[in-house]
Amino acid sequence: MTALSEELARISEQGVSAVLATIVEAVGNDRVEAGAKCLVVDGKVKANTVGDARVLQAIVRDSEAILSGEKSKLVALDLANDGKLQIFFEVMLEPPKLIVVGAGHIAVPLVQIAKILDFYVTVIDDRLLYANRERFPAADEVLVGDMAQMLKEMTLTPSCYIVLITRGHKYDEPCLREILHSKAKYIGMIGSRRRIKACFQRFRDQEKIAEEVIERVYAPIGLDIATETPPEIALSILAEVIKVRRGGKAASLSGH
Amino acid sequence: MSGQGECFDPPLEAKKQDSVYHQVKEFLDKGETVAVATIVSTKGSTPREVGAKMVVTAWGEILGTIGGGCGEADVKREAIEVIRTHKPRMVRVDLLDDISSDSPAVCGGIMNIFVDPWWKERDTEATGEK
Repeated sequence: MTALSEELARISEQGVSAVLATIVEAVGNDRVEAGAKCLVVDGKVKANTVGDARVLQAIVRDSEAILSGEKSKLVALDLANDGKLQIFFEVMLEPPKLIVVGAGHIAVPLVQIAKILDFYVTVIDDRLLYANRERFPAADEVLVGDMAQMLKEMTLTPSCYIVLITRGHKYDEPCLREILHSKAKYIGMIGSRRRIKACFQRFRDQEKIAEEVIERVYAPIGLDIATETPPEIALSILAEVIKVRRGGKAASLSGH
Repeated sequence: MSGQGECFDPPLEAKKQDSVYHQVKEFLDKGETVAVATIVSTKGSTPREVGAKMVVTAWGEILGTIGGGCGEADVKREAIEVIRTHKPRMVRVDLLDDISSDSPAVCGGIMNIFVDPWWKERDTEATGEK
């Protein structure tokens, strides 16, 4: 039997996303006491000392929204005749992951800046000449293979941010198709407005992909800071990633 | 002499193995009771954010920080009581009073801190029944 502290230590070590709910105040309810806890991982209760089924249910329900908000917070739970509770939801987050699809000239400064920003960075490309350690010494992973296939096989969580910057739409499109319905928090795709418009139109007409799914894509990619050089484009892409992660309001080129 | 000679390096980022819960587990494995103090809500300007934690031992030893200064000393006193009684409590730290002191915690805000006892039996109770 593992203890709660052991479970929590393991979660912080492995970088798993989880929510630990602690009752910090209970007024007018004798079935729940301050200090009772519930650990929720992947929508499932992993550990629990909250005796009241109704409260437990409310905790599990709220956990998902709080996890996607990425911030620990205190929540008041009004149980009408059963009193009032104050519950602290502690969010434990998987580190953010940046998946760079396409190892061309923008990818190089992109990976460097992303490492400064503490992302776990994976670079993928189908060309060994580009996707290699010498070119990306700071990357956490450099993978060579069919890009769309590799994306298909990855577990994409809400901690994933995906940047599509391959050498052409011929490659971006099949990659985009694999990730459009994923849980990734951010999908950005490089390209001119004209080509992006044509790509989205094909998705609508031929594949009947819903408008709200298409609207998830940040394309053209990046914040509107009038970039000219590859490092500047890399910076505008990562600034957009940070905007999505933290909930900022700066203007994206895509109109988001 | 370098112009930056007086700058201190910030403390190195805690290693993953040094998370609060690793520390808690270590104390519990030795049979000790500790208190975990967590900032659960703040108002105004405070030295640390919601979710910041520190561990207090029965002897008043502190690991981690919730912002230092007088507030932390108050919390430490409460924590020792919490360890003794095995009952958690909420502590309100008012940083408004500090304005004339030299404390680094002169921020002007208010923090609500939940101080929670952890001991072996309580720790295994949570995972015993699913």
